Amino acid sequence: MKIVGVTACTAGIAHTYIVAQKIQDAAEAAGHECKIETQGTIGADNILTDEEIAAADVVIIAHDIAVDQARFKDKKVVDIPISTAMKNPKSLIATIEKKLGK
Amino acid sequence: MDLREILSEDIIDLDLKGTTKDEILHELSQHLFDAGYITDIDQFVKDIYVREAAGITGAGNHIAIPHGKSSAVKKITIAVGRSEHYVEWESYDEQPVNLFFLFCVSDDEGFAQNHMRLLAELAGKIGKDSLVEALQGAQTPAEVIEILTA
Repeated sequence: MKIVGVTACTAGIAHTYIVAQKIQDAAEAAGHECKIETQGTIGADNILTDEEIAAADVVIIAHDIAVDQARFKDKKVVDIPISTAMKNPKSLIATIEKKLGK
Repeated sequence: MDLREILSEDIIDLDLKGTTKDEILHELSQHLFDAGYITDIDQFVKDIYVREAAGITGAGNHIAIPHGKSSAVKKITIAVGRSEHYVEWESYDEQPVNLFFLFCVSDDEGFAQNHMRLLAELAGKIGKDSLVEALQGAQTPAEVIEILTA
């Protein structure tokens, strides 16, 4: 699968980046392509392009603060709190695989 | 810029003595104060608790990532601590923690964007299981810096 995502936590200092890495590692370990945009206190990094969003099978949005989802309106979006991705990124990916049948 | 610019051996303590969350926060803050990163321990710890009140900072895997923006911060950095004993801490996996990353962040938003970027890069590394495993086995502060900057 091609997975893209966005992470955004309350303070935008730590969780945003840790969770981005955890999702990335879990996705790649399961053989998927993955790119995660971080929206932190320093602004957005690793920004998703329109092409990447268009090509993605699924969009993971892990956040504790509001994230503008207009870019993803025609996509399958998995909308979860930061804690879900922090707790068990592997099972997050496995659940998505099951739901999408891939 | 290099990650080594925000890491320093004098704020890495692999033998923390504290047995409670509060003791650990004060112990690491004392190191930050002694090394000149913060001007006021009480104010800094108070500001950390403001963030603690907003949500869990136990990241699972026996790691805690307390962080706060504080006017007491002179220089952005990250203090690293490890304890021989587990300490109770609110955590996503409900396990106690023994590895601590105390983020030391100025409350001046426009200040030192470059350093904030390095801090974000370090935070990403804390999300890597293999790296955390290596840190659990590190013997010296120099080794910790080596692992985090590899």
